[in-house]
Amino acid sequence: MRKTIFLLLIVLLIVPLTSIVVTSQDDTLVIGFLPGVVDPFYQVMQLGVEAAAADMGVEVVTQIPETWGVQVQTPILDAMIARGDIDYLVIAPTDKDQMIGPLQAAVDAGIRIITVDTFLGDGDYTNGPVTFPISYIGSDNVEGGRISARGLAEAIGGSGKVYINSTNPNVSSVEGRAVGFNEVMDNEYPDIEVVALDFNLDDLNTATTQTAAQLEVHPDLAGIFGTNVFSAQGAGTAVINAGLGGEVQVVAYDATQFAIEQLREGTVSLVLAQKPFDMGYMAVQFAVADAAGVTSLPRRVETGFAIIDIDNVDDPEVARFIYQVP
Amino acid sequence: MISRVWAWAFLGSLIIFFVISVQITTDGRVNFLTIRNSQNILVAITPVLLLGLGQTLVIIGAGIDLSVGWVMSLASVLSALALRAAFNSGLPLFLSVVIGFLAAVVGAGFVGFLNGVIIAKLKVPAFIVTLGSSFIVRGVALLLSENTTVIGLPRGVRNYGNDALIYWIQGEGGGLYFLKRPDVTGDLLRRMNIILPYPVVLTAIVVGIIVFVLRKTQFGRHTYAIGGNLEAALRTGIPVDRHLISLYVLSSVTAGIAGFLSTLRFTAGSAVIGDALLLSSIAAVIIGGVSLFGGAGTVMGTVIGSLIIAVLTTGLVMLNVQAFWQFIVVGTVVILAVLIDQSRDLIIGRMNTG
Repeated sequence: MRKTIFLLLIVLLIVPLTSIVVTSQDDTLVIGFLPGVVDPFYQVMQLGVEAAAADMGVEVVTQIPETWGVQVQTPILDAMIARGDIDYLVIAPTDKDQMIGPLQAAVDAGIRIITVDTFLGDGDYTNGPVTFPISYIGSDNVEGGRISARGLAEAIGGSGKVYINSTNPNVSSVEGRAVGFNEVMDNEYPDIEVVALDFNLDDLNTATTQTAAQLEVHPDLAGIFGTNVFSAQGAGTAVINAGLGGEVQVVAYDATQFAIEQLREGTVSLVLAQKPFDMGYMAVQFAVADAAGVTSLPRRVETGFAIIDIDNVDDPEVARFIYQVP
Repeated sequence: MISRVWAWAFLGSLIIFFVISVQITTDGRVNFLTIRNSQNILVAITPVLLLGLGQTLVIIGAGIDLSVGWVMSLASVLSALALRAAFNSGLPLFLSVVIGFLAAVVGAGFVGFLNGVIIAKLKVPAFIVTLGSSFIVRGVALLLSENTTVIGLPRGVRNYGNDALIYWIQGEGGGLYFLKRPDVTGDLLRRMNIILPYPVVLTAIVVGIIVFVLRKTQFGRHTYAIGGNLEAALRTGIPVDRHLISLYVLSSVTAGIAGFLSTLRFTAGSAVIGDALLLSSIAAVIIGGVSLFGGAGTVMGTVIGSLIIAVLTTGLVMLNVQAFWQFIVVGTVVILAVLIDQSRDLIIGRMNTG
């Protein structure tokens, strides 16, 4: 008798469990979202991913690394592969070369890849060295660098010395920005000299110290291009420290609320907004389309920019591109 | 101080090296050793030095504090949140800044108290306790910080973090100004020397206090005694547990001050500001000659250690050498520092016995 009750209890426990397993194994599409690091840019992208998921009835599993880097992103990626239920992965690879191997493993496990913001190889998924991702959806960072260069050139009156503060080498996004920036300065502004490029390794204090040192070497420095949030913030602080706020122009990539504060204070003269919400939303759309059998998805989508300066920052048409996280 | 002769000599030769090499690479246009650049270097050492000061105390007491970098981040976030809340509730700016300072120091001190209690009373090794708490503190800082960066601080905060005691414009149309930034532009602005920025002044005060405490007070003597020989310290009736707790509180508090200063400097709280600083602070302490076995070391040693690191960063950037080289040089200096100390002890030992 006791045995029967015991068995009955076990059955009663197991039946609901299996039903849970069964319901989660229905044909709802599961999309993994793995951005580069916790920051406002990727948080806005996450809003886009979630909005699209709600609109299209798919499930999203999000994991945000606490620091930028292959060594942090890869274990999270491996864990997401190990779950076994993820159909599509929307990822911002933290290194264009080193992440190829780990993502190939995801492909081998049957997961389809869409890269957002950063890409693998040279970003050409049709003819380039890496062809397994469905698409790259992001900013044309080289173009962003060009726009930043023209903005800075205008702010300093077309001549003088400028300096680039960047984060890490071999990251497709910031690397492209510097390339585009240099290209425009070389070709279009013969009177502007790009004097140096420093990597701050994502450390605010380092960015500030580096910029202060460059201001010593080049006391007549006219402008600075900060290729991301940390770079622009560190550069802006060093300029303030030297008492040169408003004298040395700073162009900031990424429209964080902090960058906008600095724009209003006059530390930063131009802010380039990317469209992370679009990137997240479209990546989910692409996954759903691919699952439905669409075969003509573009391999590369450029989401464009909004250019924010002190004159248009309050215009709602422009202000909606500021990275607002609830 | 005498025992650090080689460190002073190294710092001196480093400066001479940069003076010459910067002159050469810029065709004599740029001087490494200017008032302005000396102030840049002083500003650059403040975070490393503040973390190093607390670390010095703990290491002299034969412990280690691996949590300082993240305690600094937590303090930065706490001070920004408190400062903003105080200001938004209508308090005047100065009072809000004071409240931000208190939030940083009290929040950080609380972490240090927990570290100390677990180490002293529950006898868990300091390495383990502070390693564990560094992860916890890091998580808490990120959670509290909203999106890693706490923004919306009142604009005037910037002045507290970046203004200075003295402004000096050399040459024509210049002058000497105290406490108030002169309202100049263009060429005059570019020639302006900003001397003794507030963060440097506050750090110097902390250095002074800790030098005094270690050299002149019973607390200092007890710290050396506990680090030198724990058994003996216990037998002479030193309240070892209470003392250890105080050391970890002090270590966290100096890290807290570093976090508070970074909030003022960047006009924002940052949950990642201290990420890269732990190892630099330990390197500064070791270059400065503090023995990892405890019982020996001075604050001035740590000051030199921090200076060497900051001079390297600034100098290499001015030479247009990527900062990566800095790691290689600092690493070499750390190992050399200990080697020199060891061989010196050996020589002195032989002289004494011989």
